[in-house]
Amino acid sequence: MQFRLRSIDVTAAGREIVRERELAAESIVIGRDAANAIHLPDLAVEQQHIRLTPAPGGTLRAEALGSLGFTLDGRNVQSGAIDPAKGAEIGVGSYRLDFSTGEDGATVITTRQRAEDEGGGKERLRGFTLASALPGKRTMAWAGSIVILLAFLAIPIFSHLTREQVEPQLTGEGVVLMDASWSTGALSSVHHGLENNCEACHVEPFVAVRDQTCLTCHEGIADHALADRMSTGRPQAEGGEALLWSVAHAFNKPGPGACTDCHTEHEGAGRMEPTRQQFCADCHDTLDSRLSYTTLGNAADFGEAHPEFKVAVLAEQGASERRRLSLASHPKDWNGLRFPHDIHLDPTSGVTQMARRLGADAGYGDGLECASCHTPTADGVRFLPVDMETNCETCHSLVYDRVGSTFRTLRHGDVAQVEADLLAADRSPRRPVMTGRRRPGDYAEGGIYYGNFSRVAPSVLRASAMDSDGLCGECHLPGDAATGVLSVAPVRQHARFMMNGWFDHDAHTQEDCATCHAADTSNAASDLLLPDLASCRDCHEGEAALSAEVPSSCAMCHSYHPREGAAAAPPRIAGLSGARIKP
Amino acid sequence: MATVAEDESPRRERQSDHEGFLAHKRMRWLKIALLASLVAILSYALVDVTPRHNGGSWYGYTLGTIGALLIVWLALLGIRKRKMTEGKWSLKAWTSAHVYLGLSLIVIATLHTGFQFGWNVHTLAYALMMLVILSGIYGIAVYATLPAQLSNNRREMTKGQMLDALDAIDRQLENAAQPLGRAESDLVIGALEQDPFAGGIGARLTGRYPDCRTVEALDAMAHLDGDAASGKVLSLLRKRKAQLDQIRRHMRIRAMLEVWLYIHVPVTIALIAALTAHIVSVFYYW
Repeated sequence: MQFRLRSIDVTAAGREIVRERELAAESIVIGRDAANAIHLPDLAVEQQHIRLTPAPGGTLRAEALGSLGFTLDGRNVQSGAIDPAKGAEIGVGSYRLDFSTGEDGATVITTRQRAEDEGGGKERLRGFTLASALPGKRTMAWAGSIVILLAFLAIPIFSHLTREQVEPQLTGEGVVLMDASWSTGALSSVHHGLENNCEACHVEPFVAVRDQTCLTCHEGIADHALADRMSTGRPQAEGGEALLWSVAHAFNKPGPGACTDCHTEHEGAGRMEPTRQQFCADCHDTLDSRLSYTTLGNAADFGEAHPEFKVAVLAEQGASERRRLSLASHPKDWNGLRFPHDIHLDPTSGVTQMARRLGADAGYGDGLECASCHTPTADGVRFLPVDMETNCETCHSLVYDRVGSTFRTLRHGDVAQVEADLLAADRSPRRPVMTGRRRPGDYAEGGIYYGNFSRVAPSVLRASAMDSDGLCGECHLPGDAATGVLSVAPVRQHARFMMNGWFDHDAHTQEDCATCHAADTSNAASDLLLPDLASCRDCHEGEAALSAEVPSSCAMCHSYHPREGAAAAPPRIAGLSGARIKP
Repeated sequence: MATVAEDESPRRERQSDHEGFLAHKRMRWLKIALLASLVAILSYALVDVTPRHNGGSWYGYTLGTIGALLIVWLALLGIRKRKMTEGKWSLKAWTSAHVYLGLSLIVIATLHTGFQFGWNVHTLAYALMMLVILSGIYGIAVYATLPAQLSNNRREMTKGQMLDALDAIDRQLENAAQPLGRAESDLVIGALEQDPFAGGIGARLTGRYPDCRTVEALDAMAHLDGDAASGKVLSLLRKRKAQLDQIRRHMRIRAMLEVWLYIHVPVTIALIAALTAHIVSVFYYW
């Protein structure tokens, strides 16, 4: 086989010296021994290191003669096939041997010593690691931390400390930068205007929201009770609760009894979370054991521990002051009227017949209904007082005379005027009892025996006015007779009976009136037709009651804050009157 | 612990007394972490917080304190791992605890949030923490599977030899390309000049190198396969491509093995920053 052995040496000056010789041999041995066809003077090379022998297809087989291998195209091997036509490179010691085919078909083996600085060593291996394609972990960590600390800590704190303090307002933007990122959740709808104004409530750094901050807007809210009663009534915290309070106080939390104890914020948009009954029950479940002189019954849960309702009524006939009495004592309410609900609601009674006859023109359908006389207030919470002229007079007419086509009516509510009208009734001519005939002689009109009879006999009317079927007494209880024959008891219709709880009729429109008010079996106006605790419990039980149709916390009917009038009511009722917050 | 090998794969030739950090002390820390998670879940269900669970209740603060201390302790592995010791508080025990307690943080921190999330620094801290934990889970998963692939891909070559082989091919390519015309020579120069490590993080992770000039040269010269000189160059280019593929597979597996740490470590530090902001802001706007 024909070989062309080419060796390239480099002089100290860097010039290449190329030597070439032809060799025809069956095999070639490469090694340190000078007798070898290819002699490589390198101690890392064995005396006889590799033998090259021809193999079928014009290829060469390279075989390590000792235990040390060599590299073939960069790969460590003990033997391998070389196709000079395709090229190959053997590395042994500091030498490299290139294989190729010359134009004449001879196998060309070029030997050259490897340059010292070749490869770049371990530095190149770093390319395999991800570190060569990414910024360092340390750099990324610093960058991320600094951005976060600046944006979410330094900027909001700096702008909070350097801001100008102003009176908080429901409308207005906060000036603290980036503190929206501190919000733990949306504010309730009533505080929505403060959403971007954190410092309105969070006034001082590291100081929990104080009551006086709340009171800036919520002015006019009095204490629930006198301070000493509050502290007496509140049970001493024990065990875990005492521990929690000591921790809370160590962290500068106000309370117990601070605004924020009950009214938690940042719980998400929508209505503010109603206060849990536990906040009330903490004190009220055993209040009498601490506040011995209290007149309040203990209450902890509407379904299980709640005293019977107390209602303010005129308990005796002629009573001038209302007294609060428990419904358990079945109190009466003497409001000055005689009114049997049962007759008015009885479908077979004359009242119903009369209503039918008057018909839809007079506002009646098939008899009387509650709504025929009871008109709800505009907000639907309560009912307007029953009004004689609107609600009664259609049937209970006070007409006492007709002149031509006009009726004369007694003036309701004005006793003196009624008396005067009745006295004067005789003085004006009456229409004839009979028409077409006149009385004979002196009995005729203008004659000396003429009698001015009419269908109404005023004197009789007056004398019997206060009878139970009399002119006034049919509906009114008699008043102080000393002040006049027609004196009636004052009529007092109450808008509310329960003075500490609030009832909202509008929230109960799905119920019939009769579900709670037993009007169809009541035959006296003094009957108090209020439902008792037990009937409320048909639907309402405590906040956590699984069996309740309407689980009800204390706040559904009661308000913690004692204020005047409607402002003291729970949110819906108070909201209707717009009395809860200053505009 | 020679008994460990009994139920292991029969492929394993050497019996080993090695017990990995996952199975350390019969999974002692897994049990502890599970217990901690269970206690947290049960107490979350049983403790009555008004009006609803959130990070600001006494229970929320308790979980938050535990979670914050855990995070700091978990991050200390970065310092602890640089000192290897044996015994009760060996580095292996520490790593085992790091993994399992880190996982229990998913439960503890999620309950701490009370499932109230928003666009704020608090949720940022939570999200960063979850990112750290997920990257850690990924890290354990790839450490369990990828080293075998890495070893298979080597085919008994070191990284240096892979580069040497590429160099050998390149030198031959340079010689073989001498007879080629201008256009083809430029293609070969382009292929030779391209750094095998030039691909970015995306190329490394996917193993896709759309700009590989060796492939471009192969495609552009494919029609010259009949010619002797071009045929030799093409053959060498194919060899180069094969060698590049091995190097790139190696880089891809390495990248998949290492990339989690580039999330785990910097995000941990960012998390500590966010946690600081979270805690300070809560007390600042107390």
